[in-house]
Amino acid sequence: MPARDALSDHLIPVQRLRPGDHAFVGYGDDEVRWETVTAFVRLGLARGEKVLVLPCPDVPEEEVLARIDFPSRSTVRARERGQLVVTSMRELIRPDVEFTAARQMGRLSLATDRATAEGYTGLRAFIDMGWVAALGAEVATVARRETGAGALFAGRPYTEVCAYDRRRFDRSMVIAMERAHPHAVLERLGSLRAVRTPDEVLCFVGEADGANRAAFVRSLEIALARTAATRRLTVDLTRLHFLSVGCAVGLLTLARGATGHDLVEVRCDRGQRQMLRRLGADAVPRLAPREAVGLC
Amino acid sequence: MLNPEPAGHDRAKAPAEESGRRLLQRRFTARLLPQLRLLVEECAAREGLNEPRRGEFVLAVDEIAGNAVEHAGGAGRLVLRRVGDELECRISDAGPGFSEAVIPELLPGLDGAPKGRGLWLARLVADRFAVAPGTGTEEAQGAVVTVAVRLR
Repeated sequence: MPARDALSDHLIPVQRLRPGDHAFVGYGDDEVRWETVTAFVRLGLARGEKVLVLPCPDVPEEEVLARIDFPSRSTVRARERGQLVVTSMRELIRPDVEFTAARQMGRLSLATDRATAEGYTGLRAFIDMGWVAALGAEVATVARRETGAGALFAGRPYTEVCAYDRRRFDRSMVIAMERAHPHAVLERLGSLRAVRTPDEVLCFVGEADGANRAAFVRSLEIALARTAATRRLTVDLTRLHFLSVGCAVGLLTLARGATGHDLVEVRCDRGQRQMLRRLGADAVPRLAPREAVGLC
Repeated sequence: MLNPEPAGHDRAKAPAEESGRRLLQRRFTARLLPQLRLLVEECAAREGLNEPRRGEFVLAVDEIAGNAVEHAGGAGRLVLRRVGDELECRISDAGPGFSEAVIPELLPGLDGAPKGRGLWLARLVADRFAVAPGTGTEEAQGAVVTVAVRLR
């Protein structure tokens, strides 16, 4: 069933993060937690960005590297040349010892400038918020930093993911922090979320792969039923990082059979539009793929 | 996150002849396809394959790997190489084997059986595409599908 809540409107897959993005991720599982950080780190390295990883202080650096470094020690060279750095909040704010938002943001801003001066395309940081307890920082201070960090990101080649362990933080705090971030990333690779906006747009977020085809089609069927009275449905694919042929064909087939509808509008990016056309979208009456920019 | 490739030998191996620089070698099952896409995307970005071709290449690889999972025993093996100015991916499986002839020449209609569209699109977006017999037994010969795109 499509979700409809205030927290769903800024969900994106981690692969879609771009310079200037500030994102939240929550986790509650010691295996799943590595999926987001691994994707974030490895895609950042591949895009020529410098990458900082500030893991939970409880996790040994050796485990962090072992988790990220697959297959075949493939990030060793990045670490040797300084493109990938595993560090800590304590190290970041050194020689100071007390956390302040201004101090931390100042260090990250300098690190961004340094990264670009070194020839990287930008800086990205994965920050596990386990440091809050380790440094004895006030949660309220951290919350103010999260909501007031705009200058660190606006027009700057800096990307940040803040990871909150739901077992360590109060539930209301985690929810507040998720709201405080412009984006929230999906916790798992290969996951798909269907989100219904207040104006009845069905947005898909994540990866519409073969494993998610049944859920993708089911969400479309429900959305078509919900919009039977208005005879118009809008489907937004722009927050998908991956659209499989099976899901794309599922969309085309349902649109073709939606004889009670006057219009099925599909908001998509250029690549998705090309794919739908290749699969026969032009022959589907009432289907209107439209290139869109931005989130629904 | 991903299990390392087992050291043991498997029937779904790549052909003996190899060329170019190996970027990635993974065994996969259905559960590992999201991670496989991530690794292929990462390698493609590192080798300079830009969007939208990078997305098309990842799609082609996923469709071929998904075909191996669905029709060839639930697993396969991927080898990604840089060969000259091409990014080449070979996906091998230990299934019954198939030939390129089973891929439809024209796009199947939406009212037809939903088979073959994934491989059809993979071939469409590729600069080079081939299906060859694997090296398995008579009953399970396997197949090796090669898909390549130009980087420049």
